[in-house]
Amino acid sequence: MRRVIEGSQAVAEAVRLARVQVISAYPITPQTHIVEILSEYCEKGTLPARFLRMESEHSCLAALIGAQMMGVRTFTATSSQGLAYMHELLHWTAGARLPIVMAEVNRALAPGWNIWTDQGDSLSQRDTGWLQLYCEDAQEVLDSTLIAFRLAETVSLPVMVVLDAFYLSHTYEPVDVPAVEAVDRFLAPYAPRFRMDQTVACSFGSLVTPNDYMEMRHDMALAMEDALDELGRIEAAFAGVFGRNHGAIEAIHCQDAEIVLVTSGTITSTARLVVKALRERGERVGLLKIRLFRPFPGAQLREALKTAKKIAVIDRNCSFGAGGIFAQELKAALCNLDPCPLVYGYIAGIGGRDVTPGTIEDIYRRTQETDRPSDDGLWIGLREEAPHGR
Amino acid sequence: MDAEITEREYMHSGHVGCPGCGATIAMRFLLKALGEKTVMVVPACCWSVIAGPYPQSTLSIPVIHAAFETGGATASGVRAALDMLGDRETTVVTWAGDGGTFDIGFQSLSGAVERNENFLYVCYDNEAYMNTGIQRSSSTPYGAWTTTTPGREWKKMRKKNIVEALVAHRVPYAATANIAFPEDLLRKAQKARDIQGSRFLHIFASCPTGWRIPSEMSVKIARMAVQTNIFPLYEVEEGVRYTLNHKPRGYLVREYFRIQGRFQHLTDRDLDEIQKMVDDDWEILLKKAGERA
Amino acid sequence: MQQHTGETAMNGTEMRNKLLIPRSCITTEGNKTGSWRFLRPRYEDKTAPCAAGCPAGEDIPRIEMLTSRGLFKEAWETILRENPFPAVCGRVCFHPCEALCNRGEYDAAVAVHTLERFLADTAARCDFRSPMEPVRTREERIAVVGAGPAGLAAARFLTLLGHRSDVFEAAPEAGGVLRWGIPAYRLPGEALRQDIRRLEREGVQIFTGRRIDRAFLTDAAGTYAAVVVACGHGRGQAMAIPGETETGIVEGLDFLRGIREGKGDPCDGLTAVIGGGNTAVDAARSIVRLGGKAVILYRRRRQDMPAFQDEVRMAQEERVIIEELVAPAAALRDGEEIVLTLRRMIVSGEEHDGRGRVVPDGEKSKDLRVRRIVRAIGAGPEAAWMSPETDAAGILTLGHCRLAFPERQPAVAFVGDLITGTKSVAHAIASGKEAAIALDAFFNEGREAILPRLRDCTVGDGTALSLEILLGGERRLRSPHVVGYAEINTDHFRFAPRLTQPRLLIEERIRGFSEIDLKISAGLAMKEAERCFNCGLCNGCDNCRLYCPDVAVIREGEARRIAYDYCKGCGLCVVECPRDAMFLEEEGR
Repeated sequence: MRRVIEGSQAVAEAVRLARVQVISAYPITPQTHIVEILSEYCEKGTLPARFLRMESEHSCLAALIGAQMMGVRTFTATSSQGLAYMHELLHWTAGARLPIVMAEVNRALAPGWNIWTDQGDSLSQRDTGWLQLYCEDAQEVLDSTLIAFRLAETVSLPVMVVLDAFYLSHTYEPVDVPAVEAVDRFLAPYAPRFRMDQTVACSFGSLVTPNDYMEMRHDMALAMEDALDELGRIEAAFAGVFGRNHGAIEAIHCQDAEIVLVTSGTITSTARLVVKALRERGERVGLLKIRLFRPFPGAQLREALKTAKKIAVIDRNCSFGAGGIFAQELKAALCNLDPCPLVYGYIAGIGGRDVTPGTIEDIYRRTQETDRPSDDGLWIGLREEAPHGR
Repeated sequence: MDAEITEREYMHSGHVGCPGCGATIAMRFLLKALGEKTVMVVPACCWSVIAGPYPQSTLSIPVIHAAFETGGATASGVRAALDMLGDRETTVVTWAGDGGTFDIGFQSLSGAVERNENFLYVCYDNEAYMNTGIQRSSSTPYGAWTTTTPGREWKKMRKKNIVEALVAHRVPYAATANIAFPEDLLRKAQKARDIQGSRFLHIFASCPTGWRIPSEMSVKIARMAVQTNIFPLYEVEEGVRYTLNHKPRGYLVREYFRIQGRFQHLTDRDLDEIQKMVDDDWEILLKKAGERA
Repeated sequence: MQQHTGETAMNGTEMRNKLLIPRSCITTEGNKTGSWRFLRPRYEDKTAPCAAGCPAGEDIPRIEMLTSRGLFKEAWETILRENPFPAVCGRVCFHPCEALCNRGEYDAAVAVHTLERFLADTAARCDFRSPMEPVRTREERIAVVGAGPAGLAAARFLTLLGHRSDVFEAAPEAGGVLRWGIPAYRLPGEALRQDIRRLEREGVQIFTGRRIDRAFLTDAAGTYAAVVVACGHGRGQAMAIPGETETGIVEGLDFLRGIREGKGDPCDGLTAVIGGGNTAVDAARSIVRLGGKAVILYRRRRQDMPAFQDEVRMAQEERVIIEELVAPAAALRDGEEIVLTLRRMIVSGEEHDGRGRVVPDGEKSKDLRVRRIVRAIGAGPEAAWMSPETDAAGILTLGHCRLAFPERQPAVAFVGDLITGTKSVAHAIASGKEAAIALDAFFNEGREAILPRLRDCTVGDGTALSLEILLGGERRLRSPHVVGYAEINTDHFRFAPRLTQPRLLIEERIRGFSEIDLKISAGLAMKEAERCFNCGLCNGCDNCRLYCPDVAVIREGEARRIAYDYCKGCGLCVVECPRDAMFLEEEGR
């Protein structure tokens, strides 16, 4: 049924449809609507799940680890500081191969307190073993959350569904909210590959020496690789039921583009407009949306970008000392191409600063007019004068 | 011995606990009381290692190893899952050391207890971060040497009173126990098992390695802790009803301190001060229990 | 939950990841942590101080352990192994065990004496039969002269060791001092008969009314391989004062015998009893019961009296007066009365045994008018042949007896009051037992075997012998180390008062010769027996198994063993053993 709902609601609907059994919650702007809606659903019985009002985000994930180990489907949501606080347990969740799904609302990290959108929080967690899906609109949020459960449970790795603060979390959009019967055809009840059976004397997570640890980690790496193929299969199944899918990447006009803009999140939807306008003016420009960040879809990206001359990556994040993260990862994925496109890194929209069509056009122009990219990326949209309070 | 102590063992030999380890004695007794319908969460502590390296497990019940500070939170999740799976009988128990209870795990314990999660939390207390090599925790007693309170920097803060902290949460049941008083420990563990809501057991578990005592004195010294009123045995129900389980004739604390290597540096004056602290705390407890000395 | 259609199958069947996770399903029993050990614990029963101090060598901790469990028959049988006179000793033994009892340092000694009586009474009531069925295995016959406790003990133990013993007793009934010396209020005749009947059932032959003379020692050759001389002290010692014979001073032993024969005359008026030993006290208390008043006159101080202190105390309760530091100087009859002149004594230094040395206090004296005088200052054997010459060559002096090996004559063993330092029933039994074991060794292997044999079956560090150890019973495995109080872990005990021996009221006591101590109930007995620490003897308390951090103490039925594959040698079991029944030694020994 088509409804006009905010991104937070889209997450909540997907969680309901997925018949999640245990939810843990801790408030942090701008994720809070997600858990508030779920709280009501649980209270009303719309979703017969246990709702744990934990005392911190770290504990939220700890609770889900405990619950998922026992063999139930779980969910939580967080943002920024909360995600950073969970860091230790993000590693733990993936290491324990628990298919937990989490909605992560991209928000800037403090200090100063900044509740607006920024990809720094989720990307800081890119090494933890979580899969990451970056959503462009509310429909994608809902769909990705449903797909996340199936993908996680297939490869036994947790999945983070990432959505921009306010632009997605608090913006109302038309969304097709499927019926639960349809979702049941796509997503079966949780059938764990492993669970702690309360009647079996088995322990989980004990001391592991160098003799055995490496194989376990290698198995995680294999699971990540498997995820690339599995996502394809699962999205095919999704399309079979719902008639749509989103793909690990989306390549728009890349085959004949000289310059390809690479974006993620809501910047993508602005970029679509810009690319359309540029192409109408005859620019040979393309757009590549990265949706799946982990595992990084290197092969698909190489295929889509191998003919481009220049690639302009727009990062709403910065790995201090190494530039934008999407740019870094892309460079790594492409570096063995021969010939290799030039990758221009641009850092924009930090801490929720607006990325306008003008910003994107500026980025395009600079790319076009510069022969070689700088090493660490260019910060776009900085104000000339000094900040207040100096 | 008391015929009520079940024959059945839930712990295997071959574990790597130090000789004379009080924590292993405590676990052995606890599981005899809880029985086999138990799932145990073990955050980082000595027992993370004693429980057996992969692929071994020393206990006959399922054990979930958890991150250091997550004892209360992980158990909350385990309980929620079991309830959703229709299992209301299996006991969920967190088994944590003093570090993971008093310090880094306190938030998660307090949160779980405030929500009155239906689980049993057992802290086995060897009074320092022993697994990492004897560092001070807020459970380390006044006067003790540890590797982070060496020489003149011996710990000059009093031991945190964790039971009272939880009593302030109005937890349905909180009690102290001691490896040298097995019938008392088992009775309390069984009682706690059968209560709904959050239950807390604080078990005194000597550590020969960390306290610098001979391994064979492990139980005797634990007993002395009760006999000196340093570690009184008592229960608190609903955060208000205190019951003293043992009113010893009272050893002087001197005896207790003199035979432990970790207290060797204390002077007679220090010991006098400590005796006064112990006496004062005992008075407070007596008042709470509505008793006189 | 919900339906699940085939085309949405969840599992990726061609995945490379296999879900390798740290799940552990094997127990830790593969780690033989016993290799860590440098000290090794083991079970080792040791010797209790009471058992080492009991002249008869009774296995007291075991007796109390069994009693505490209500296994009265087994407890009684344990006594019998070492002591054929439980009913007697339960009444008249001076219980040196209780003075050594480790529990005495904790709260109060265990009432071993009372419990022994309880077991004997129970045996009588339930007609327990002795489990000993001795078989004659040796040719030698031994003659025993005197059916007192020493002689009967010697005969009994010789019988248990496979010999035939014939006991010759001059009196019409067996028992010696038990029958004719100790008053009935301390030892009723039925109790003695109970023990003697059992002896006879075990195979000891007693011939009463047969007086033996010196010639027997030589005439016995050919029939008897040895003679045990157990005649005791038949002759009282004279005071050697003027008027001793003329005034009709009665010898204490004769006085008591007269009462036991039923010839006790009423004793109205005041009787002086001279002496400080048990005979004197027995005489005085008997006089009170015969209606008279008694005053004990003793040359030293009250605390120097060799009589058992319990007896002295009870005598005073019964209003026997004790005058100390007086010695008789002369006796003069004056009609119905006798005027006894007493010299005052004062203490001047100490004897080597700690008793006060007394000397006359100048010329001070006083006269005492009494109706009769009983003399009990000491006694000796009736005839010289009844005691050996101490310095004669070939005499072997042992802890409790003496042996002589005259040429071409039967070996002779001197036992009982003739020989022992302390004149007590327990020492008499010890004496008879030692002689029996020594003679048995002599017959089997010759004279050189005697000392080693005795050492072999000694209890602990003392002089008591154990037949059970000799015959290779369980007791043989125990270490001779005597457990001291410091080795008891008193954490495992709670203060508990010692039972109070119920007694007749003083008024009831002095009305006649009824037994003073009353029976106790089984419940009381068990409760008292529970107070016993069982020093050095495993009683199955299970502390070792309970506290083992490595689950390395395995119970198999009643016994326990240590799983040395896993034991790390922490020593907790040894420390938490309340009764020092374990031992920690270096690994690799």
